[in-house]
Amino acid sequence: MIEEKDLSHIKTTDFAGSLAKNFLYNPLTAVLAIFLLAIGYLSLEIMPREEDPQISISGGSIIIPAPGLQPKEIEKILVEPLEQKLREIKGIEHIYAMSMENVAVLNVMYYIGQDRESSNLKLYDKVMQNMDMLPKNVMHPLVKPFDIDIDIPILGIAFYQNSNNLSYPEYLTEIENLKKEIASLDNVAKTQLKGAHKQQYNVQVDLAKLKGYHLSLGQIVKGIESIAVSVPSVKAQTKNNELVIFGIKNVIDSIKDVENIIVAQYMGSPTYLKDVATVIDSTDIQNKQSAYIIFKDGTEYEQITLSVSKLAGTNAVFVADDVNKLLKENKNRLTKLGIGCVVTRNYGQRANEAVNELIHHLLITIVIIAIMLVFFLGWRESLIVTFTVPAILAITLFIAFMTDQTINRITLFAFLLSLGLLVDAAIIVIENIHRHMHEEGSENRDMDELLITASDEIGAPTNVATLAIILTMVPMAFVGGMMGEFMKPIPYNVPVALLASLFIAYIFTPYLGKKLLSVSKPQEDEKSSETEQKPVTITRGENK
Amino acid sequence: MAHNNKGKRFENFVFNILDKKSLSLLVMLLIFISFVASMLMFPAKGVLAKMLPNKSTNTFTVYIDMPKGKSIGQTKSVARCVTNLLQKEKEVNDMEIFLGQGSPLDYAGLVKGSGMKQGEEFAEIVVNLSDKHSRKEKSYKMVQRLRPVIKDTCQSIVRGTVIKMIEMPAGPPTLASVVLEVYGKDNRKVILLAAEVADVLQVVDGLVDVDVMADERYKKYTLNPIADKTAQSGLSIKQVNQILYLAFEGMGVAVKNTIDLNNQIPIFVSLSEESQSIDKNTLELLRNKLGQLSLMNMKGVMIPLIEIVEIREELSVPMIYHKDLRTMVNVVAETDMVSQVYPLLQAREKMIQRFAQKYEITKEPGITTYMFDLHLQNKQTGEKFLLRFDGEMKVTLDTFRDLGGAFIAALILIFLLLVVYYKSFALSAIVLGGSFLSIIGVIVGHWIADMITTETFFLTATSLIGFIALMGISSRNSLLLIDFAQGLIKEKGMEKTRAIALASATRAKPIILTAIAIILGSALLASDPVFGGLGVALISGTVAAVMISLIFIPILLNKTKAI
Repeated sequence: MIEEKDLSHIKTTDFAGSLAKNFLYNPLTAVLAIFLLAIGYLSLEIMPREEDPQISISGGSIIIPAPGLQPKEIEKILVEPLEQKLREIKGIEHIYAMSMENVAVLNVMYYIGQDRESSNLKLYDKVMQNMDMLPKNVMHPLVKPFDIDIDIPILGIAFYQNSNNLSYPEYLTEIENLKKEIASLDNVAKTQLKGAHKQQYNVQVDLAKLKGYHLSLGQIVKGIESIAVSVPSVKAQTKNNELVIFGIKNVIDSIKDVENIIVAQYMGSPTYLKDVATVIDSTDIQNKQSAYIIFKDGTEYEQITLSVSKLAGTNAVFVADDVNKLLKENKNRLTKLGIGCVVTRNYGQRANEAVNELIHHLLITIVIIAIMLVFFLGWRESLIVTFTVPAILAITLFIAFMTDQTINRITLFAFLLSLGLLVDAAIIVIENIHRHMHEEGSENRDMDELLITASDEIGAPTNVATLAIILTMVPMAFVGGMMGEFMKPIPYNVPVALLASLFIAYIFTPYLGKKLLSVSKPQEDEKSSETEQKPVTITRGENK
Repeated sequence: MAHNNKGKRFENFVFNILDKKSLSLLVMLLIFISFVASMLMFPAKGVLAKMLPNKSTNTFTVYIDMPKGKSIGQTKSVARCVTNLLQKEKEVNDMEIFLGQGSPLDYAGLVKGSGMKQGEEFAEIVVNLSDKHSRKEKSYKMVQRLRPVIKDTCQSIVRGTVIKMIEMPAGPPTLASVVLEVYGKDNRKVILLAAEVADVLQVVDGLVDVDVMADERYKKYTLNPIADKTAQSGLSIKQVNQILYLAFEGMGVAVKNTIDLNNQIPIFVSLSEESQSIDKNTLELLRNKLGQLSLMNMKGVMIPLIEIVEIREELSVPMIYHKDLRTMVNVVAETDMVSQVYPLLQAREKMIQRFAQKYEITKEPGITTYMFDLHLQNKQTGEKFLLRFDGEMKVTLDTFRDLGGAFIAALILIFLLLVVYYKSFALSAIVLGGSFLSIIGVIVGHWIADMITTETFFLTATSLIGFIALMGISSRNSLLLIDFAQGLIKEKGMEKTRAIALASATRAKPIILTAIAIILGSALLASDPVFGGLGVALISGTVAAVMISLIFIPILLNKTKAI
């Protein structure tokens, strides 16, 4: 298909020229183009999408309950020694300590970018090593690492009861079962219920009646305790070595059984629990937390929010879709049971929208640049430059994918930022080819020689200039703090895109120029039909 | 034909400037004046700096922090007031109220301690708006409009309530826009000073949601068991504690296992609500209530609780907060659609005035990111306090410092690269100097953007990134120009001034083409809330860079002997 041609007579000085020369007749050039576009497209589809980039914040809380101690005491005997010990850990930026009544809370923040696992381990280790320092009466410390990626839920679903088909415990069971199903989906990290109340038998003692029956609260507690015991099954053997298993059933089977607990006996007549207290099968009244949802039309329900978070490095879009699919499957059943549900947070959708919007922007920009080039250089030249853009972005995306980055707002901004820069190399090459072609006497020049020389000519300054832009981006990778971490995708991706733009420009611009442009038919281009009079040709480098 | 005529005309234009000394000087003077003028825009506040601008989103959150010691019922009444007001908004799709706890964690809540909230005094309301594309009003505009309304109506229901409107941050989240850390030795005095600092912040324009992050003191009662009486009556203090807890807080005393449910069912014993409630928060009524409670000792004799305990009224002890081992109290404030820099400086001035009477004030020496800090020393007692400015301001300063460092590093790297390439310091300096001048475009661009947009257009961290990138772009233009001119002189033996003019004219087309590509590429960036600064910086900076590369750089080249 493509005839081999000897190009060795064309001298090149720069790698721009040699790339142009080597790929001009190489049959693999076209294959390479298709391959690049394919891996780029695949990366775009497969790469995890999120709205904001992952920032590795590591840190944790240490909670130490110390019943009966005052803030001042806690500060002196508990917090201060522990603070000093925590100071010994390398990588900790701040220690925040709160000495409150009955409890001490220490929050530890590591420097941004510290390894999460080892940070968590170090914290736990330090606390455990110093357990002997803890004063008496203090309970076992709880060490809870926080993890931004696992702790921030990507989905929030509010459930509410819009009819009384189910009792609260039944309703809660439905939701808990659904939660279990969601937790078993791929890449779901943590599921949590907010606003849920547990079922509970509430025994509310009337103080006046208690007095009337001459009882104390202690007696009531004893009465309940003595009867609500579960015993494991007991085994016994028969004479024939057969096993007989019998168990003692929990006496409390329903709310009625609780009501009928005998708390005292006076002169042979029993006092039942229901005589001194109201017993209700309801929810945990000591838990003051609750959640509501108010809709646009003003209707208000008590709600339970189920929040779902994903594992780090996984695709928020996919996880959210999976959960939504599951929800849809259950929707009919839930509606029949009188349970309504509404998705109140969907970061998966937001991530997808943000990414799609930016991809859309990227495409619009490419089209605008292409149209602009049609006017200045001609449509064939414009087509060549426009091809290089997806090829460059494909390489960049693929490298980003290989280095475990995700597609997020900032990655795409890095692309948008580099878009203006990465067409430059191709524009400079094509403009130089264009200029050479429209020079006086160019009709007699060998097309191959022209393409390669034109590429070679601007090679050195373009390389240096691109290198200069790359150099401006590299120091940005060393910006510290949250903001530095937040914009990391820019210094990671822009230099890659720029480097790729050089290679693509030197390989594909002459190659496509060979296919699309020709000196022999100058009337193709409106402007070139006029006699060009620019006398300048320089073959820089050959003399050097 | 017209095209080439233009090229020729431009060549002559540049040649004229190069050839006539007066014209060259005039151009240089003009550029110098515009450079100075643009730099003056910072002190003149023509361009305002901020780390990251606001972002329109579909959600915002209302935090309600009641004074400690308030009941869930009181918190609920405030939350109800807020939702009633928000209910009238057309763009509100739904609202979720979380009482006694934080809402499901988000980016903002992560650093604002939303996940740690637990107690009857907290509530959070998540307000979900209609989609931002179909909504006219930007979410931050809406928050700005609603904030005073909500605060005026609802904050007064319970004294000491703080209502905050939290927006989704455009970039990395911070505790608050303005955070003042008050350090000292004694917790109580630090809290008092913090309250004064909060008073100052309250009156500064542009600051809202001011809050002292310390516990308020509230009235409470302690029951002190009288040791010998307790022992005499055959009871133990532990028993007394338990019964009291059981009576008023309640306790799960047993569980019922179930087969068909996911959890055990606890049996929870407490006094009935009616028996628990005390008509008024007074010592007398509490004593009456406790008088009705009796305990049974080992012998089975009932002993009234009131006989073995003493009730005393006292104030609660506030929480003691440490940061990095030092006692500290945070005073936080949010900015209301303005940059935090200017209110902060104003607040600092006001603080210096206010504290000058009582305290000896020393400023933080040197230029660090803590350069706004104030050291206070009480004139009478000699106690030392430190007012440290933290929060978004600190992050901004840190980021700008780091970006500035990155920028200087970039300058040095480019310079070295150019020296290696040209083997001439003069040429390298020309390229670099020319690139640096593109800052004129960046600043003027922001000034124009600020004038055409209705909201303040800030110079942000992303503008700086844009400027750094511009350095590279601008030096590329100069590089191609110099390379071409050198080629013309060496190979064609052309006269220097003519060669530079011709190079400028020939390279004008690719330079303008790439510039247009950048401008078009950044046009969509410019409308983005976060990366708008980057877009504007690139667009206006590129325009300046083109003019500088094509006119100013040739003048400098013409003057140097290096070419």
